[in-house]
This record gives sequence, structure tokens and C-alpha cells, in this order.
Amino acid sequence: MTRDWKQFFPFLISPFLLLVVWWWVAAAGWYSDDVLVSPGAVVATLEELTANGELALHLKASFFRLLTGFGLGALTGVLFGIWMAISPRVEAFALPLFQGLRQVPTIALIPILILLLGVDEIFKVIIVTKAAFLTVALAAYDATKGVSKNYFEVARIYHLPKTTLYRKLIIPAITPPVFTGLRIAFSRSWTILVAAELLAADSGIGQMMQLGREMFRLDVVMVGVVITGLVGFSIDKLFKWAEIRLIPWQAAVKA
Amino acid sequence: MSRPKTALSVINEAHADHPGDGLTSVRSSGLRGGQHLSLATASAVLAVEGVSKTFQLNGKALTVLSDFSLAVSKGEFISIVGSSGCGKSTLLRLIAGLDSSYDGNIVWLGEQVSGTSLDRGLVFQEHRLFPWLTVEQNVALALESSGLTQQEIDARVKHQIELVGLSGFAQAYPHQISGGMSQRVAIARALVLKPRLLLLDEPFGALDALTRLKMQQELQRLWETEGTTSILVTHDVEEAVFLGDRVVVMEANPGRIKRVVDVDLPRPRHRTSAEFQHIKDDVLSDFIEIS
Repeated sequence: MTRDWKQFFPFLISPFLLLVVWWWVAAAGWYSDDVLVSPGAVVATLEELTANGELALHLKASFFRLLTGFGLGALTGVLFGIWMAISPRVEAFALPLFQGLRQVPTIALIPILILLLGVDEIFKVIIVTKAAFLTVALAAYDATKGVSKNYFEVARIYHLPKTTLYRKLIIPAITPPVFTGLRIAFSRSWTILVAAELLAADSGIGQMMQLGREMFRLDVVMVGVVITGLVGFSIDKLFKWAEIRLIPWQAAVKA
Repeated sequence: MSRPKTALSVINEAHADHPGDGLTSVRSSGLRGGQHLSLATASAVLAVEGVSKTFQLNGKALTVLSDFSLAVSKGEFISIVGSSGCGKSTLLRLIAGLDSSYDGNIVWLGEQVSGTSLDRGLVFQEHRLFPWLTVEQNVALALESSGLTQQEIDARVKHQIELVGLSGFAQAYPHQISGGMSQRVAIARALVLKPRLLLLDEPFGALDALTRLKMQQELQRLWETEGTTSILVTHDVEEAVFLGDRVVVMEANPGRIKRVVDVDLPRPRHRTSAEFQHIKDDVLSDFIEIS
């Protein structure tokens, strides 16, 4: 019990402090209640939105876009990244474009994508796909390029068949860095999705916040902020948890 | 003690003109070019003839290996000793077939070496085990292209792991075992194919001194049971003398043979014996002044 407490204590300090400052500033009355909502009011709104099913509806819409877009982008990204690393021709064609595109923030593409795709579901899915694809493809490319040539020499010495080369060398070797890429891509996808929903959507957690802002319901906006943070944090933790279980040799390699 | 018959006879023949009383059997021959080769090539399984290797470094040609010739008989254990940069590792890579651009001839069992072969095993200085595979899976990797059935593979892997004394660690990952054990797995991986030539590139170079002594004993034991023709590259003179039937001394810039020293001592060898010390000092005198 004491050990658990000691272990979690440092992690709890900073959120707790933030909460105290927030509560204190709100209670001090420097800002109107409508502008700076108190933590208590946010909790009340959260309960309300949960009870009437509105929050669940928005979250469902957001998660659908996130999972579809990320799934598509991550899968094609991994495959394309490996392909680009293995084929000198694909590398020569695609890499400079990739390196350039990675410098453009996805959010800068939102206006163009809205013009091209409209504001429907497809636009949100595509923008998430794009964010995931670029990040994951580059992670897979770097990872494949980074596989030690020492291992490939072992493969040559033992005449490893091509399937074995992929199954027992390339794929396991790139799994840890690709996993890190997936984790980063997922958090980017989530951020960009909320941003896109803020700009143009009829549902979703971002749209809920946007609507709240328009109706001057900043308590709703704050619920969105908290939920966005919690979702991103949980998913990140989930990836880390899965990483340790899926890649048992990794802990020791890192150490 | 019991070396395979073929190897014993070949080596005895080679030493016939040097009846050994230990000290006088230390013979150095300035091995150079053709005339020596023609004598030895007949019984040789491996013939390296006038091999040179040049690298391009910043547009400049760098000769790392110059006119290297050596004939290796079946079952023989050759040690190649030299300081870093003498091209000894490059030579092993050429013999293994990892690098095919060189001048001269490397003839293995009557055929020019081109590319790697399951016939010729190579143990690297780093163990190069795949960290995501267990000990057993790493050893089995060598048999992927052997065409053996899964049953045969399992049996051979198990036997080979037993031979290197790691039976209890078959399911362990490389990070769970020590550096010396990892190198034993790497040797098992090379031997499980029953190669006819075993190339060892400073296999114990990264190990601590005590583990290294133990590994040398073990390698000696493995060589005596399996009788595999072996070439060991090392910078450790004692290791070279302890394991080798012949010690090839190399010098650098460009890498070439300085001389070949016969080690006509019975096995297992005693590092403390006068004869052993004498040969060791003799080889060492090529590198440092011994007062």
C-alpha cells in the first residue's frame, strides 16, 4: 500500500497542483464564471453530457474517424516505408517528396482538403490517414534502413530464404521503432482529428467544443479539452503497455 | 588428444621432415608465392593463391591484402595472427564469400569461391545472434536452407546446443545469457550445419580474459570431436599457438604473410610448458622485442 502510494505520488502532484490553481483562480473571481469555468462546473457538465448520451455520441463519431483513418494510414504506411527502404528505385522517386511533405504541418492542408473533399466524413478520415501514413511510413523506412548490415551478412552466410529474411530478420528488427512510430502517429492523428472537427464537422469531440464556444458554453469546451487529453494519454499508455508485451526482447536491448 | 585420423595423418606428413623434440620443431618458412604452394596444394582442401584486395578510400586505393598465399589441408587448424589492419579479417571474409572482388584465386574443394556457401561457416567477432530469437531458434536459423525435415532440424539443434554445453538455455534470449555463452551459441550456429570449413574471425576478442581461456579450451575440444578444418583469425598470440597446427604471422601495410610457424605440440597443449612458451615467444618476437 505504502509502496503504491510512493510510486504514484510524484505523478499525481502536477495534475493536482494544476487543478488547485485552476480552482483557486476561478474562485478568486477575477474572471466571469462564463469565461473561466470552475472545475466543479466542468464536472457537473461532464455528468450531464454523459447522462444525456451526447458525449458518447461525439466520442463514437471521433473514434470511428480516428480508427478508420489511422488503420488505413498505418497499414499502408508500414508497407510503403519498407518498400521505400528496400527498393532503390522507389526510394529515389519518393524519398525527397516525403522529406519535403513531412515539413508541412498537416493542419496547413486542412483548407485545401476542405475545398477538394468537402466537409463530409471522407475529409476527416483522409486527413487522419495522411497524418498517420507519413509518420508511420517514415518510421518504417528509417527502421528498415537501420537494420544492421551485420545481420544481413548472417543471412547471406546461411542462405536464408526470402520469407525467412522478412519473417525472422526484417520484421522483428523493425518492430520496436515502427511501434514507436505508430504511437507518435496515433497521437498526431488524434490531435489533427480534433483540430479538423473544430473547423468543420457535424459531430465529434472537436465539433462539440466548437458548438460550445459558439453558444458561449465554455464548460462544454472544457469538458472537450479534458476528454481530448485523457483519450490521448490513455491511448499512449495503451501503446506502451502493448509494446512491452509484444516485444519482450526490447527492454533488454534498450537497457 | 584424439584428433580425427585424416587430419592427423595429413599433419604428420607435413611434419615428417621435422622430427619434433619440441624446440627444434619450431620452424619458420618464408611462405611466398608459387614454389611452396605447388608442394602443398595437392592435399589442400583450400588454396589461397596470390590474393590481393584493394579498397577505395576517399578516392585513394588502399591495399589491405597483398599477394597472400596459403594452402590448408583437410582437418587442419590454421591460426592467423597479426595486429589490426593487417587484412586478416578481410581475408576471412573473402574465403567466406562475403566479398567477391579481389585479385588472385581462392579455391575451395577444387572450385573458385564465389558467394557464400553452407559448406563454409563463419563466426564473427560479435556473436550476431538475432535478439528476438531464442538460443534454439538462433541455432536453427542456420538450417533454414538445409532442406532437412523439422524433426532432423530439432534433433541437430538440440545435439549442437548440448555440445557447446548450453542445454539448459535453449529457450533463453540472447540478452539473458552472458557474452561468452552468446559466442558459444554463435559457434553452435556455425557448426550445426556441419560445415567442412570453419572460419573464426576473432571470436573471443570481445570476451574477458578468463572466459577467453575457457572458450579456447572448448573450441579445441569441439575441433577434436568434429575434426572440422578451421581457420582462426586473432590478435592473441597465445590463442593462436594454443589452437593452431600452424600459425600464420601477418604484417600490415599492405597486409601480407611474414612467416608461417609450425606448432608441433601434442594436444591438449599446456600453456605453461617450456615448448609452448618457446613457440609463443618466437611468434611474439615478430611483434615486440623480447629481452
